[in-house]
Amino acid sequence: MSYKREKSCVLGILSDFMKFRMSAFLVLCLTVIGLSPAITIAGDNGPCLECHTKQDKLKTTEKAKIDPISGEIKVVSLLIDEAIFKTTAHGGEDFFCIDCHQDLDGADVTEGHKPNLKPVDCITFCHDDPADEYLQSSHVKLMKENNKDVPTCKDCHFGLTYHFTPLGEKSPMYVPRGTDPLHRKLTIQSCGSCHQDYLDSYKNNAHGQVTALGHTTTDVPVCFDCHGMHTILNSSEPESKVGKEKILETCGSCHANANESFVKHVEHPQIKNIKYYKTLLTALKNARNDPENLKKVLKNPQTILCIVFVMYIGILGFTFSSFGLHSLLTWFATARDEHKRKGHANEEHH
Amino acid sequence: MRSTTNYLRFGLFHRFCHFLIIISFFGLVLTGMPLAFRGYDWARWLYELFGGYPTAGFIHRICALITFFAAFIHFAFLFISISVQKKKGFFWGPNSLLIQPRDIFDIVGDIKWFLGIGKRPDFDRWIYWEKFEYLSLMWGTLVMAITGLILWFPVQFTKIIPVTIASVVDLPSIALIIHRYEAILAAGFIFTIHFFHTHLLPEKMPVDEAIFTGSITEEEFKHERLNHFKRLENQRQLQDFKVAPPSLFVSFLTRLFAVPILITGLIMVGFMFSALIVWAI
Repeated sequence: MSYKREKSCVLGILSDFMKFRMSAFLVLCLTVIGLSPAITIAGDNGPCLECHTKQDKLKTTEKAKIDPISGEIKVVSLLIDEAIFKTTAHGGEDFFCIDCHQDLDGADVTEGHKPNLKPVDCITFCHDDPADEYLQSSHVKLMKENNKDVPTCKDCHFGLTYHFTPLGEKSPMYVPRGTDPLHRKLTIQSCGSCHQDYLDSYKNNAHGQVTALGHTTTDVPVCFDCHGMHTILNSSEPESKVGKEKILETCGSCHANANESFVKHVEHPQIKNIKYYKTLLTALKNARNDPENLKKVLKNPQTILCIVFVMYIGILGFTFSSFGLHSLLTWFATARDEHKRKGHANEEHH
Repeated sequence: MRSTTNYLRFGLFHRFCHFLIIISFFGLVLTGMPLAFRGYDWARWLYELFGGYPTAGFIHRICALITFFAAFIHFAFLFISISVQKKKGFFWGPNSLLIQPRDIFDIVGDIKWFLGIGKRPDFDRWIYWEKFEYLSLMWGTLVMAITGLILWFPVQFTKIIPVTIASVVDLPSIALIIHRYEAILAAGFIFTIHFFHTHLLPEKMPVDEAIFTGSITEEEFKHERLNHFKRLENQRQLQDFKVAPPSLFVSFLTRLFAVPILITGLIMVGFMFSALIVWAI
């Protein structure tokens, strides 16, 4: 935190000289290229973009990466679109490539650089705040208890590399802002890759049905809008965004005047989840031995939703089979009469 | 050959109502159905075609208001006819759209006709399945209107139920499920059963013009509703219903309007049905 403040302060003073610096840089660049054969990187993106924006200047435009969780091998482009880079969260004027790729600080890149850089450390110097919140969240605690691999920054933030694929398509890796629709869409997928049941049930709800159609702007909530971005807590904890104390505020951020009854809304309806029907049936079977459990299941708002759903499937099945058969029979009987009538007409004609 | 004697089957008011319902129903289905079939590419395409979120939602709400308006003028018409003009026969008798005892005989007669062991029954003014369609339209509109309004104003509707009930009965979620499956029921019903029962019958193909031009030929009248024809003849009212046959231009306009709409409906139901097959496989 202190590092960040100090840095922005220093850079604030520096920004006054920015215009001067930019023009000076151009002159300097030409002189440096002209006079000295060595190009070193120091506090500037110029030398990096010199090669990484041009396909023919790179020895290779792609590299393979192994996903730490799934073990999948991904091909990542090493090309950068400068204009798009500048629109991203790290694309500001006071931010340089070597701030993240620190092992290249001061390196001589005249002949290129070593192929495999150290993985970028997001936490130590800059993003220690969300990292602390994240590591203390019940999400991570539970994963540690169950010996699961805890997702790291880049598993959700997709590496933040601003690269383009060789085909010129946007790489899914370039999506850093929370308001960016593509980024929001990808977070639904990354949450869903572990929480498949929750993703499926979310798609059955009013919010999820819109995002499933591809609309992920900020007026429709995705997972993190309700569950929090880094502080993902179990709803039983007081600080949780979906817990008793904060749920009014969370829903109220979109639905003005949200009330106590409104926030009882079921955001993850289990109407298409076969597991819920199984628990319903077992509760019914054990009604005599365990009436408390049955009461609990019946008081769950999901139960009514499931009953309504099954009822409607029944109505649909009955209506279309009975009326469908009726229309077909009417159609064929009319065709038969029509055929007969024409036959008679022809006979009379002859 | 076109018959020269035509009779009025639908008055201007009812034709106008049917027109309003066509416009609003198609607007509602085309902007709403993508949400129910959100996993399919055609749904995404259709949703984008109508402006996506939130434009498609606005179109949906405007069409809902047109439906409300149509329902309102329909019931106002009924109210004025029954209580102001003191007209009879809305609840009982051959002119009523409610189910009557003789409909049971008509159903039995129809089944005999399907099986080829009887002649087509002589129907009166409303055939039993036309009554089903009318009554299910009324019921469906009521259900869709209530659940739609709950989804439109979820905060205001939940405000009126106490928290203890709200934690068991989740009104907006129930409304969403009912709205979604009632919509599939309604769209599926109109685009298959209504279409094949009225417009796409071999003797009507491609469209039954009566609901657009208002008139039917004497031939059609006798063939479809012989009892009604005889009743009017006996009561010497037949002359009152005589109208000039629709001009070829009006007939052409009717087809120009109705055929694309019928095709749109059939394509929609094709998409919906294909989704069912994909799901089943």
